[in-house]
Amino acid sequence: MQDKNITPQALWVKLAFRLFFRELKRGELTIITAAIALAVLTVLTLSSVTDRIGQSIEQKSNTFIAADRKLGSAHPLPDEYKTKSKEYLLKTADQIFFDTMLFANDNLQLSSVKAVSKEYPLRGELIIKDDLTEQANDYAVKTGPTPGNIWLSESVLYALDIKIGDKVELGAMNLIAQKVLVEEPDAPFNIFSASRRVLINIEDVPATQVIQPGSRVYYAMLFAGDEDNIVSYYKWLKPKLSENQSWWGVKDKQSWLSGSVNRAEKFLLLAGLLGIMLAAVAIAVSAKRYCENQYDPVAMMKTLGGSRSNVRKIFVLHLSLVTIFAIAIGLLFGFALQLIAVDYLSQSMDQALPEASIRPWFIAIATGATCALMFSLKPLLDLFDIPPLRVLRRSLGDSIAVSKLHLLLSALTIFSLMLLFSGQWMISSILFLSSAALVGILYGISRLLFKAGRGIGLSPGSSWSLAIASLQKRASANSVQLVSFALAIKLLLFLLVLKNDIINDWQSQLPVDAPNAFLVNVTHEQLDPIENMLSAKGISTTGFYPTVRGRLNAVNDELLARDYSEQDNEKKDEEAKSGIGRELNLTWLTEVPSQNEITQGKWFDTGVTGEASVEEGLAERLELKIGDSIEILIGSERFNAKVTSFRKVNWSSLKPNFFIILSPDLLSSFPATYISALHVPKESKKSLNVLLKTYPTITMIDVDSFIKQIRSTISQVSIAIGFVLVIVMFCGGLVLISQVQASLQERMQEVVILRTLGAKGRLIKLATLYEFFLLGLIAGLVAAIFSDIALLLVQQHMFELAGKLHPMIWLVGPLIGAGFVSSLGYFMIAKTLKKNTSDLLRVLS
Amino acid sequence: MTELSQININQTVKPIIQVRNLSKKVNTLAGELPILSDISFNVKSGESVAIVGASGSGKSTLLGLLAGLDATSEGEIHLDGEPLHQLDEEQRAALRAKSIGFVFQSFMLVQSLTALENVMLPAELAGHTDAKQQAMSLLTKVGLEHRLDHFPSQLSGGEQQRVAIARAFVGSPKILFADEPSANLDTKNGHLIESLLFELNQEKGTTLLLVTHDEHLAQRCNRILHIDGGELIKDSSGTRAYAG
Repeated sequence: MQDKNITPQALWVKLAFRLFFRELKRGELTIITAAIALAVLTVLTLSSVTDRIGQSIEQKSNTFIAADRKLGSAHPLPDEYKTKSKEYLLKTADQIFFDTMLFANDNLQLSSVKAVSKEYPLRGELIIKDDLTEQANDYAVKTGPTPGNIWLSESVLYALDIKIGDKVELGAMNLIAQKVLVEEPDAPFNIFSASRRVLINIEDVPATQVIQPGSRVYYAMLFAGDEDNIVSYYKWLKPKLSENQSWWGVKDKQSWLSGSVNRAEKFLLLAGLLGIMLAAVAIAVSAKRYCENQYDPVAMMKTLGGSRSNVRKIFVLHLSLVTIFAIAIGLLFGFALQLIAVDYLSQSMDQALPEASIRPWFIAIATGATCALMFSLKPLLDLFDIPPLRVLRRSLGDSIAVSKLHLLLSALTIFSLMLLFSGQWMISSILFLSSAALVGILYGISRLLFKAGRGIGLSPGSSWSLAIASLQKRASANSVQLVSFALAIKLLLFLLVLKNDIINDWQSQLPVDAPNAFLVNVTHEQLDPIENMLSAKGISTTGFYPTVRGRLNAVNDELLARDYSEQDNEKKDEEAKSGIGRELNLTWLTEVPSQNEITQGKWFDTGVTGEASVEEGLAERLELKIGDSIEILIGSERFNAKVTSFRKVNWSSLKPNFFIILSPDLLSSFPATYISALHVPKESKKSLNVLLKTYPTITMIDVDSFIKQIRSTISQVSIAIGFVLVIVMFCGGLVLISQVQASLQERMQEVVILRTLGAKGRLIKLATLYEFFLLGLIAGLVAAIFSDIALLLVQQHMFELAGKLHPMIWLVGPLIGAGFVSSLGYFMIAKTLKKNTSDLLRVLS
Repeated sequence: MTELSQININQTVKPIIQVRNLSKKVNTLAGELPILSDISFNVKSGESVAIVGASGSGKSTLLGLLAGLDATSEGEIHLDGEPLHQLDEEQRAALRAKSIGFVFQSFMLVQSLTALENVMLPAELAGHTDAKQQAMSLLTKVGLEHRLDHFPSQLSGGEQQRVAIARAFVGSPKILFADEPSANLDTKNGHLIESLLFELNQEKGTTLLLVTHDEHLAQRCNRILHIDGGELIKDSSGTRAYAG
């Protein structure tokens, strides 16, 4: 019966495999496998889902520029850019923008023309309707007009007094008015340039002969494709860009949506990091427990003549098998879970999510392997040092405590994983250090609490007195448990409350009566009659703001360079300072707008001259200081203004906002038009056509669909956040389970002793229940305190939300802690309590 | 050195265990604490020796030192001709693998391995490729051929100790150390285990050294070493005659 297939030297491999399969079968590897698998599952699912949701949100957001990226210039863009983009598998579309007069029916109208190629839009859809009648419904199309046709916005049709099918003269060419242009994906909210828009096919541009040398024309090239390919393409493109060529993506758009996307991304990142932290803690606890369980087998093997090297090889291989198995399980379940999640999310969002990249798989495997290796390293080294004499003196080796080296290794591992997952030093460091501080403080507090608890005396033999005695007896172990419980509860409370705050904040910024339309191009003379007309219809406005278009040309006499892109993390590395890259809408006001807040300097005094107030983000970007001089170019006129204040602007508000507000003296001589935001109830919309017909030069921009899109994005992100929260809660639960599991053996011994001494089952059950109840209560209380403090800081500094305390969680925290921990602990102990004493003795022996 | 131990040292049959002036001290907060002091004796091959003494007398420490599980503070131990006191941990482990078997009071079976696999373990650690054959034969010998695939938790205390005995005899060790082998068992099972030990000791010519509180068990051995306060105070004969 000699095993001829195996050499004596390789017997350790066989032994390691045997130990693995046997322990697996007996369920001894369940907790460590579950912990590693959950870490892998968490990372894979979170990374994949957030990656896919992130891509989806970005794609959805990208409909706001009709592409993933846009390259714009006042001069024609080289063909080379487009040719090269094909190598990166990018789709492209061309646009040309110019203003020109349209003629029809002896009427003429200055209009903003957008000429587009057949590929436009690369993202999103065009909304059109067939005529101006009330019966005509809006519908979506994927391409623009074919050559020879023109699509006109409602206001242009009114201004020209034509109907669909009529001829429109554009330069040297006659076009057929084919459709009513309701919405373009890339101009839904650019309220200043959205007036009088028409859409033609780019192939018709030469025939119009409108573009002549010196004409004011803006050329744009749109790009869409795989994000990595776009980034690679931009690396090639960047050195070739001239100063008048601007590259940008949706993140560069200072809009409500970019703020939401950034905030959602931050939350998902934060939740992912906390999930990893919890899973890592679960692995750390279970890895130590796993190694402790191997003390006896190792001592036995050494006693039976196993050499140190053989023992080392057996257990390193054993742990490797556990790790590989757990990673495989984690990947399998993670993959399945993310499929389910993505399916659910796709259905909820009514949109297929893009495929995830390979990166989540890589990070997940790296996380599992790193966790298992780093958290087990010191316990494994301790394991190899277990003296064979333990077979005679059972307590030998038990004194191996959690060493500083182990703590350091574990802490470094957790930090490295956070860094690997987030790729961001700052956020990882803040989260890690704050949690480390929390753990330190909590440990100290819990030791003090348990020490102080010694003075409490209750009648001997009562369940409470047994529970308190148990807490005190295991003061050290209980402190560790308390810290883990508190950390898990804190992180869960933290995420739960933050999720609600973020979503509430979003909802509150989009109240039912949020402005849903803008009136632009209102002349000074039209102000009074329009205001009267609106008030007669019961329509409220945000007030009318005067606007003049101009360019920020220089700062302290230093000319500004072309814009740079935040989308691709482009930094201001050029020598010249970057500018805005486009014309701005300037206004003059005597009062600070309601949704603005002066953060530095002082608002204009009455009668001041030559002063400017700049939005703080722009000021920071241009490195402006109070007292700097900025040069404004309007048409061909230049003038300087002294910066006297910086303003924080609530871009999330659907109200007219301005980067630069000038003192009235500087602009009042320029011809201005007025703008206002208003909330038009759905039933009043049609009746506003009278206003447009009465004042054909005025444009009304309906942003209802834009708001609808924002609401849909919010709901999409809310679902994602809720999903992430559930996964993180699983991690938290596992931490609690692994901690209770860690103390199970000792508890079983106590049960045996108490039973032998004649304690009734009910007494032991209640004592156990109370012990966990007290642990959970204390953990929940400290968790609530710390999570509220952390929330206060994170809300203000990371999410730019108004920081506030949450008294409710001070109550809910301890209740959840006590309820959850006591039920979990009781459930796990209940099995033990059902066994009779002799069975327990056998298990223990 | 006692009168009786001197007699034994001077016996003519070559001893398999030679102990000379053995001492063991441990460091405590109060300084060095002597556990064993100046112990000397010999054990002949195939002899059965009981080490008896009160709790805390140092008998388990002596067993640990003789088995090479612990290092000596002073003195010499020669085991099967090897100077145990001069060997490092790895060499002592190799010697155990070659020459020593163990039976413990608490059985010390690896819970995740079956009865058969537990018995195979020492042979596999020693690199024997016929471990399974040896293990099955020994388990049959101890009457557990029907329990091969059972885990320790599925066996009674007596059965677990029989598995431990089978494991102890795998590889035909020259010396068997037993630490209170029947202490955790009822009288019937205790006697069964003791008989099995002596039977195998006789049959295989294995030297048996056992630590026990049980006077009856001690009397079944060839010799009894009495330890008190870390000293060997008496070396007496048991009821069983040494057939050397």
